[in-house]
Amino acid sequence: MTFHLLNIAIVVVLSLIGIGLYGLMIARNLIKVVVGLQIATKGAILAFVLAGRLASQVDVGQSLALTVIVADTIVAVVALALAVQVRQKFGTLNIEALKTLRR
Amino acid sequence: MEAKTALTLLLALPLIASPVIYILGRVEYRFLYRRIVAARWLCLLVLGVTWFPLLQLRVPVLEEGAVLWPIGRIVLQLDGLGFFLAVTVLGLATLVTIFSFQYVKGEPDEEKYYALLLAMTASMIGLGCTRDLFNLWVWFEAMAITSYLLVAFHHEQKSSLEAAVKYLVQSAVGSLLVLLGIALVFMLTSTLDLESIRPLMANSGAVGLAAGGLVIVGFGVKTAMVPMHTWLPDAHSQAPSGISAMLSGVVIECGLVAMLRALGGLAEASLAWGALLLFFAALNMLVGNLMALRQTEVKRMLAYSSVAQVGYMLFGFGVAISYGVSDGAAGGFFHLFNHAMMKGLAFLAAGALLYALHLSQGRHQPLVLDDLNGAARRYPITAFALSVALLGLGGLPPLAGFMSKWQIFVSGAEVRSTPLLWLVIFAGLNSVLSLGYYAPLVNRLYRREPSSVVLQGRPIAILMGVPLLLMSLGSVAVGVWPKLLSWVTYPAALALLRSFGFH
Repeated sequence: MTFHLLNIAIVVVLSLIGIGLYGLMIARNLIKVVVGLQIATKGAILAFVLAGRLASQVDVGQSLALTVIVADTIVAVVALALAVQVRQKFGTLNIEALKTLRR
Repeated sequence: MEAKTALTLLLALPLIASPVIYILGRVEYRFLYRRIVAARWLCLLVLGVTWFPLLQLRVPVLEEGAVLWPIGRIVLQLDGLGFFLAVTVLGLATLVTIFSFQYVKGEPDEEKYYALLLAMTASMIGLGCTRDLFNLWVWFEAMAITSYLLVAFHHEQKSSLEAAVKYLVQSAVGSLLVLLGIALVFMLTSTLDLESIRPLMANSGAVGLAAGGLVIVGFGVKTAMVPMHTWLPDAHSQAPSGISAMLSGVVIECGLVAMLRALGGLAEASLAWGALLLFFAALNMLVGNLMALRQTEVKRMLAYSSVAQVGYMLFGFGVAISYGVSDGAAGGFFHLFNHAMMKGLAFLAAGALLYALHLSQGRHQPLVLDDLNGAARRYPITAFALSVALLGLGGLPPLAGFMSKWQIFVSGAEVRSTPLLWLVIFAGLNSVLSLGYYAPLVNRLYRREPSSVVLQGRPIAILMGVPLLLMSLGSVAVGVWPKLLSWVTYPAALALLRSFGFH
């Protein structure tokens, strides 16, 4: 039974990261970009819990996951605050508008 | 003072002071409706006081190798490398603070600037003194978050917002990849202590390679290794000039140090890390220089030149890691320090000119090369400082940049391997190529007729000129007496090689 659970967890980790990064690449809306980033980070958080389980140090893995959640929340807050500013200054959330700086 | 107390103070002082300064600044503004002491002078005071514990730590670190401070499972360790990084970061932060007095005066959130600058400085010092892989990421992320906020400091400007969004998204993906790498290592070794990880990773096979690759790509985003460098020119050119100096001078180098620390733990998973760094070194030098050649904005050109300069550091560290040559690592650290000093000087001097020519007259527009025509007539000191910085970065002999590049090239030649010799020649030719954009700018400053922008420029405050003068003096002094810095670069090099398992 545990064997199956671990397999499921690995699949979930990989698919969360894959879906998140894919969404990040195709999204044209800044909020969706942030959502994609969040989904991928959730995969990394689950990866820590899973790594703790496989390393038979469940407590350490979970405390690392909690730390990542805190840091991740701050990044999300900053990103959304920037999105608010972008909406106010550019009048749109489309990231195509964010291409004014030259190479 | 006991060593452990000094280490506590070194980390705690700026971290605790950062929110305090913000609150005091707000309170002062609330009751007096202007900003007199709170943010700027307190920030300078805290940075000044932080030097004392750092200097107290000099003897224990340099003589005994490292100061250890275990907190539960996590071990904080200040070794030669951490000490070197702390000296560089604190030095640049102090000068940037003095420079910013005039530059951000009158901005609506001045106290936020100083509070974040202090927090960023603290997290960079912390990044240097940890031995725990996950703790390394925490400091790294703290540094990254403060730097996002500082890049977006002029959030009423569209260009700053655009730069900050690009920087945040790319950097967040980078730190996500680092996290996955750390999770893989933790899964395999059940520990996060870098010293214990190294022997356990010896036969890790594909998982070890994957972890190393994730760490290199993830930290590589912050280090601006070439395919991952696209955020850098935007962020560095749009940030306030003092922050550009910090970003270029120490933040990208902190990404490099974090990568080296993490790779030290994975040293036995593969022998190819050093060769990989050498590959990125060549790529960075070439792409950075070629892109810098075609820029018309001064700060953007300097930003691309940082991409090229990171290449030289990667070269030194790559040689050191591949062949265990301590001179290579010492040269890399020497160049890291010189780059912090010279690129910091270049950005501050360009920032002073930007302030005098555009910002102080209420125009938020970039400083282009044509604006600087004949600037030496009106701003002799600033133009001299900028020239010293540019020629030093280009590697002209009596200046600091020449000495560190020379040391890196010599260490490369010492190894006596033919491909490496070609790489040394390639790097030397790149140095010549870089003069192709540094020298014309110096020519503009001195030999062209003053442009209309220069003729209408405001004078530069004396306080703004002080850090410029100090740093130009430093660049010349280090160039003439390169041994001045050996006392910090060699312990740092030894600490790096020790963390990779060389003895």
